[in-house]
Amino acid sequence: MSFEEFQNCARLYVIGALEPEELQDFEAARKQYGSAAEDFINQCYGLHEAFALSLKPAKASNAIKDKLMSMVRERGQGQSGPRSA
Amino acid sequence: MTSAVDLEPGAPSDVDLMLGIQSGDADALSQLYDRYNGIMKALILRIIHNETEADDLLQEVFMEIWKQAKNFSAEKGKPLGWMVTLTRRRAIDALRKKQAYARAEERLQAQPEQQPLAWVQNATENDIEAGDTRALMAKVINSLPEAQQQVIELAFFQGMSQREIASHTNIPLGTVKTRLELGLKKIYDSLKELRDEF
Repeated sequence: MSFEEFQNCARLYVIGALEPEELQDFEAARKQYGSAAEDFINQCYGLHEAFALSLKPAKASNAIKDKLMSMVRERGQGQSGPRSA
Repeated sequence: MTSAVDLEPGAPSDVDLMLGIQSGDADALSQLYDRYNGIMKALILRIIHNETEADDLLQEVFMEIWKQAKNFSAEKGKPLGWMVTLTRRRAIDALRKKQAYARAEERLQAQPEQQPLAWVQNATENDIEAGDTRALMAKVINSLPEAQQQVIELAFFQGMSQREIASHTNIPLGTVKTRLELGLKKIYDSLKELRDEF
């Protein structure tokens, strides 16, 4: 697989659209191209951000945040934090 | 860019907030929620199409951000990208678990054929000139041919495989693949140009 073909596959990979039979070749190319492949894949995740940002933001219920923060504080974040959660 | 949204002068960057969360600072999570709950809710809603379920999932997602923050690495990407990946995965899982897939298909089929672009917000030239990141993203996606937008929509927001898209749309598998590749490459290249500008 050329690096250009790998790039096409990587963009499909990050959105979960690679078919199983393509995944094997993709993983082989990923090993072959090493850090260049990993760097490219990381950049491709920027697509996720782009798709999300293209949407008009929606309003969440105020109660959601209150409930969330209450749950976080109940978990005793002040004592152990999320690292040990 | 330290954030995908406009920040007040002196406001902590997204990475600062993630570092705060990693060290157990609940206020950092509160600020991150205020900054991004609208985007995350829009993403969840776009996938599961149910207001109440979206609110519940939004809460679960931010709880997971709190718990999984230790897995975030600024070297590998931006906080928003990490959060969107996590959110999308959870929303698609929820969609499948609730066996709502068929209902979502019905909704998609019920949408007027002339509105495959409804998932992007309208971007005006004024927005673009103002440097609004969201408007720029929408403009990039909006500039794709409708056929490419359609397959990307089904892949990203409905979590469909290439074969599922082919079956859903009655488009040959090879055509689906080509449209996905071309559309994603165009968006990727536009994003790269944007990144290079900043």
